[in-house]
Amino acid sequence: MARLIRFFLLLVTIGIIVWSFGSVSLRWVSNWRDSVDRPIRLTILHWGEPAEDAIVRRLVERFERENPKVRITRINAGSGFDSKLKTMLAAGTPPDLFYLSPDNLPLMAEMGLLMPLDERLRKERDRNPTWLDDFYPLIMQAYRYDPATHRTGAGPQWGLPKDFTTAVFYVNLDLFEAAGIDVRTIQKNGWTWNEFAEAARKITDLNKKPEYAGRNIYGGFFALWPATLRNIIWSFGGDFFGSDFRDVTLDEPDAQRALRFIVKLRLEDKTVYNPTGIARDGGAEFVNGNIGCIGPIGRWQVPRYRDITKFRWDVVPVPAETPDKRVSQIFHTSWAISATTRHPDTAFELLKFLCGYEGQIQQAHEGLAIPALRSVAESDDFLNPPGMPRHQAKIFLDAIRYAKIQQNPPQNEWNNIVGDRITESISLGQKDVLTNAREIESAWLAELDSPLRRQEWKPMNWTLIGSIGLAGVVTFVMILWWRAKREKLGPLDRAQERAGWAFISPWLVGFIFLTVGPMLLSLLLSFGKWSAMEPLSQAKYVGTANYEQLFTVDPTFYQSLKVTLYYVVLSVPIGQIAALGVALLMNAGVRGISIFRTIYFLPSVLGMVAVSVLWLQIFNNDYGIFNAILRPITAWFGTTPPDWFGKDAARWAIPAFVIMNLWGVGGGDDHLSGRFEGNPRIPLRSGSDRRCGSGPSVMEYHASHALSPDFLQPRHGDHRVISGLYSGLYDHRSRSRQQHSFLRVEPVSPGIRVSQHGLRQRYGVDLVCHRSGSDADCIPWFT
Amino acid sequence: MPNASPSSDSTVRPLVSGKMLLTYAILMLGSIAFVIPFYFALNASLKTSAEVAAGDFITPVREPNFSNYPRSLAPDKMNFWPALANTTVITTLTVIGQIISCSLVGFGFARFSFRGKTILFIIMISTMMLPAQVTMVPVFVLFKSLGMVDTFWPLIIPAWLASPFFVFMFRQFFSQIPEELIEAARIDGCSNWRIYWQFMLPLSGPVIAIVAIYTFLGTWNDFLGPLIYLNSPENRTIALALNSFRGQYGTSDAHLLMAASVVTMLPCVILFFAMQKYFVESVAQSGMK
Repeated sequence: MARLIRFFLLLVTIGIIVWSFGSVSLRWVSNWRDSVDRPIRLTILHWGEPAEDAIVRRLVERFERENPKVRITRINAGSGFDSKLKTMLAAGTPPDLFYLSPDNLPLMAEMGLLMPLDERLRKERDRNPTWLDDFYPLIMQAYRYDPATHRTGAGPQWGLPKDFTTAVFYVNLDLFEAAGIDVRTIQKNGWTWNEFAEAARKITDLNKKPEYAGRNIYGGFFALWPATLRNIIWSFGGDFFGSDFRDVTLDEPDAQRALRFIVKLRLEDKTVYNPTGIARDGGAEFVNGNIGCIGPIGRWQVPRYRDITKFRWDVVPVPAETPDKRVSQIFHTSWAISATTRHPDTAFELLKFLCGYEGQIQQAHEGLAIPALRSVAESDDFLNPPGMPRHQAKIFLDAIRYAKIQQNPPQNEWNNIVGDRITESISLGQKDVLTNAREIESAWLAELDSPLRRQEWKPMNWTLIGSIGLAGVVTFVMILWWRAKREKLGPLDRAQERAGWAFISPWLVGFIFLTVGPMLLSLLLSFGKWSAMEPLSQAKYVGTANYEQLFTVDPTFYQSLKVTLYYVVLSVPIGQIAALGVALLMNAGVRGISIFRTIYFLPSVLGMVAVSVLWLQIFNNDYGIFNAILRPITAWFGTTPPDWFGKDAARWAIPAFVIMNLWGVGGGDDHLSGRFEGNPRIPLRSGSDRRCGSGPSVMEYHASHALSPDFLQPRHGDHRVISGLYSGLYDHRSRSRQQHSFLRVEPVSPGIRVSQHGLRQRYGVDLVCHRSGSDADCIPWFT
Repeated sequence: MPNASPSSDSTVRPLVSGKMLLTYAILMLGSIAFVIPFYFALNASLKTSAEVAAGDFITPVREPNFSNYPRSLAPDKMNFWPALANTTVITTLTVIGQIISCSLVGFGFARFSFRGKTILFIIMISTMMLPAQVTMVPVFVLFKSLGMVDTFWPLIIPAWLASPFFVFMFRQFFSQIPEELIEAARIDGCSNWRIYWQFMLPLSGPVIAIVAIYTFLGTWNDFLGPLIYLNSPENRTIALALNSFRGQYGTSDAHLLMAASVVTMLPCVILFFAMQKYFVESVAQSGMK
């Protein structure tokens, strides 16, 4: 029987392997034939949920039908868009067309990664004026950026708007009516923050009524990533920046009032939901019907909300401190063309097609965003699309009148500095808003004045480095050769020697090209500034500025050392004891040990995507099983269990990781991939008996379940990664280093986060001290 | 205390069985802890989207939603089949490469004397401590300059260039083989290559097994490598495809993700079950010396 099964498994395995090789080579062949038939190949990169994906797909298929020479590869990178774009740039294969978000506009325009469109648009206007003039001027303007003055709204046109949305609050009509608040008046006249606070209180008071028992209703929920936070601050008359980007105005009275207002509602009155668990967020709670209103957010929520049957919903304007301060953020996306596209004409044709009427109408039907073309936006296609729950979509259009283009600095580290730090006051309540604002300002100024930005650097002299390197290698080989010559060997010994070297040559080649060479390059680059998005020849020589930055400016460095220490001190002894315990158990000589051995090994086979989702559920503060078990125990001591990854993260996230690691302790070794050779685990013997060391007693020093950043991102309605709250953890080293961002004790070195965000995410490590596009590896040299 | 020994003898039996009982209890407890997440995964994979979204991974399934499985694997979700083909191709080539290259190098270190051997071996062992991150970016740059980004080569080639840990295992194993055997073969006129191919490799079954299993598990579940090197959707591996469940609203399709994960880990579980005995033996024989 067992043999039969084994035979069957073998057959299946061979079948799968043969089929796999067959299908992959078939794909290669058909790709190759296709490249002959359709020589013009464009790659486009976008994001989008299934609805948006389908729209883009249909448009692309239409375009391909109409242009038989063109083949379009469409990549929907979803929430990993930014990393995907940056990696493609780094790989030297940028997509020909891609979604351009306002955050990326300044930096990408300044780096010369985008193709300016003015020339072509002018010609287009001569031919077809109605279409171009149909775009909302404000939205067109939002894609003008002047690299010289760093101002958005003027200068060359870098993208063509695909769509946009103004900000609103979505309201749960049932809750508003139950609380006796008239939504109609709000829709007509707008409302003030005082009225908002009042409404939130009334709705939260519904909890006292018996029919709402056990539901945990909150009056509202604030979306608080930088762009939406800014909307709230605007509506109090404040802003992030004053006259220039050095002047952070968060500490001025207007912005302070806004922040204090948020703190009051969220943390003091608790009428606005302040989510603590990680798998439950305000957005989900709104859908569950437990939140009175949610905002400021855009139209992109509609596809999600249209399926709500539990309650009726509608939209209202964003409140303002006083009616004259009414303001709306605009969120917008455009299609932009890569500066290095090989087919600029075709790419522009495709751009026109993608921003044309057809796509806009389809988009309008789905309710994803507001069409950028006025005639579509003001038609029933947008205002009253088929199958949409009735709501005042006009509120979105009204907001255009008082919408404002935001000015963003080209150093998009800003978003991370503010996004990470502001939570310390407005959602964690660890600091008061004024201190917090001042800290943000000084962190931002430190960023702007970092040693790396102080001056223009000269390019690295690769010829010099190359010749020195070559000379070194030649000398080294000569010395070896000379020494070898001195010793006379017999023919047999020489044969031995030759054979030996031949046998180890695979490792030698790998060692030279995949280990020593890269290490030296890393070392060199640690004295340089280089964005992986440009060729190596663009690297600048910065001397010791990276190290200076690390030891003097970078606040995360010492913090991460501390966190590393905490992790090591906690995890090594516990891990060792657990491994020893498992080893002893496995060798206790009980019957049926092989079953237990299998069970203990099992965690190592579950892929980490699933593992991370599971652990997030298990550690969730609201409904996780772990805290459900702990709660009665801790209640005995009069406390509550820690909110592992929520507000207690500073202290408890690391223990949580230790626990997760323990789970893998029974497994031999799941990540010993052999690909990156740095991950081996040396099996230790745990007893005198040879059996002792077997199987599950293999102890691990390394993490077994890597939780990559990609899995642990907060969910917001926004398409893009919002705050990078949960940063990546890859293995001990990088893990502990990244902990700080995870904990929000300190953000990851801001430079890495933003400009290198993509790369860092992709590599699962932070390339520390790669500031603002510089990519020098210093940290690996310290670890 | 000689006079105490008879009485202690008589109490040995119950004591031992009590110890056994304790061992079993601990083992069971541990098993529960290790199995519970799997229960969650299986459980969630059969539930509806709403149940999972509400965080209900725990309560037993009322009506199993088997349709989650085909749905999660469908082209618009995970697009399982191409991903499976890609993963299989990469994994197969990696496993073969790892076995061949590591055994070659292990043989070289174990059975030949040449100048620089000791120092090279020490260097090799010490590279095991090297964090992968040091070399990651430059290696990426290297493969990029070779035009290999978005192909399988950057994932396969390093496996053919031997990894120190497995080399170490092979070396330890080959060192144990009696010299007489090799001498005899040599006297019979065997070339080094034939000694390797016809004597060494066939003898090293246990080591090959453990290298194969570890490499398989590592490559099958590898997320970082494919994430770095593979761009186009058609080249996605299973681990990358699984990640695509993470949509705009977080993992709103957690039930489908779990279904897909269960399918994905199936080969690993089967492999472990099928080769468990071999696996355990092999670690004992080769790794522990």
